[in-house]
Amino acid sequence: MDCRHARDVPLYLDGELDAVAVREFERHLDGCDDCRANLDALDTLRRDLRAAAPRVPAPTALREGLAASLRMPRRAAPAWLPLAAAASIAFVAGVATTAAWHVRGGADGALARDLFASHWRALAATSPIDVVSSDRHTVKPWFEGKVAQAPLVRDFAAEGFPLAGGRIDYVGKQRVPVLVYRRGQHLIDVFVLGDAGAVDATTSNGYAIDGVVLGGQAAAIVSDLDTQELARFSALLTAAP
Amino acid sequence: MPVLPWKSSADSRNEIGELALRHLDAAYNLGRWLLGNDADAADAVHDAFVRATGSSGARADGNARAWWLAIVRNCCLARLDAQGRDRRNVALDQVAGEHGREAADAIVPAVDDTADERIEAEQRRALLVRELRRLPAEYREVLVLRDVEDLSYREIADVLQMPIGTVMSRLSRGRAHLVRAMNPAKETTDGL
Repeated sequence: MDCRHARDVPLYLDGELDAVAVREFERHLDGCDDCRANLDALDTLRRDLRAAAPRVPAPTALREGLAASLRMPRRAAPAWLPLAAAASIAFVAGVATTAAWHVRGGADGALARDLFASHWRALAATSPIDVVSSDRHTVKPWFEGKVAQAPLVRDFAAEGFPLAGGRIDYVGKQRVPVLVYRRGQHLIDVFVLGDAGAVDATTSNGYAIDGVVLGGQAAAIVSDLDTQELARFSALLTAAP
Repeated sequence: MPVLPWKSSADSRNEIGELALRHLDAAYNLGRWLLGNDADAADAVHDAFVRATGSSGARADGNARAWWLAIVRNCCLARLDAQGRDRRNVALDQVAGEHGREAADAIVPAVDDTADERIEAEQRRALLVRELRRLPAEYREVLVLRDVEDLSYREIADVLQMPIGTVMSRLSRGRAHLVRAMNPAKETTDGL
């Protein structure tokens, strides 16, 4: 096969092309019998594979055994441990102030970690944006039907934070709408958390989270902006329209 | 790669355990396809669980599922090594060699051109399973992770700890092989 798009066929099938490349490939597909036949063959193979090799759930005994082992202490703590612990408290107390946000633990720490994880995952993906548009009249309707409540969408291009688009992402187990803005080379994710909870401002590895309220819903800004820029963006986002 | 800060070791053990339980079906399926039977798969997943929850310190990046499946895969490979690598791949051929074609076909029926359509669909699936089992493990695992478990290229690369380019070329070769095997008459996928 000589078609220069031949290598896009599996990428298209596997959802690894970004939105622009998808549109280009689909235009090409209309006129290329080879690519269509190829796509059809791979798609048939996948459907056959899923029918022939269905996912088998892990045996209940295995699942329950592992869950039970988790509830049991791994091993008895050695007798000297309390002493060692006491000796290290002074040190830990010093560390705790700098690492306060994750030591604070609980649901809030988990939520912050999920937010960072989602943000990093999006940055690593081929395209961190599902609907690419700087037009809020395109982005807002895109969310409708995908999430319970479409978020408030505004563009801050005039202020230097143009709207880049949106996506649906996971925070823990919950699907939430994410608005994506740009600031120069920086990408800013605004997770509209709704019922998923609220977070306080926190940082990790040069990335920062700021908790805000957007259109009456709890939201979290995640980016690698510096503190001042982040504060400016927070203020823009939460200012009355 | 950013590193997630974990809490105390007990919390982190619980979190890793919950993560593993969330993706237990994926782990078990990967194990079945790598090891070829249910009992070995369950044992390998158990090993992986002990190893994952026993590990300490920060290690998971954004994709925790890939991290967990990578451990499962390593435990499967260790088992394969212990029992003579790829024994499972040739098991059916061995049956045929030792007990004749009929015995092998009784386990996995061969395709019969004259069979009616209902049986044909069953047999196509059986043939596909047989071809997938025969595929060398490095192609089989990529196909299972992508087409059955629905992992992205990035996640598969993380599980296998290899470049995305290698994932793509193995996926493409594995698929081309299966497409050819399932459509002996047609020249469909190319270039290989």
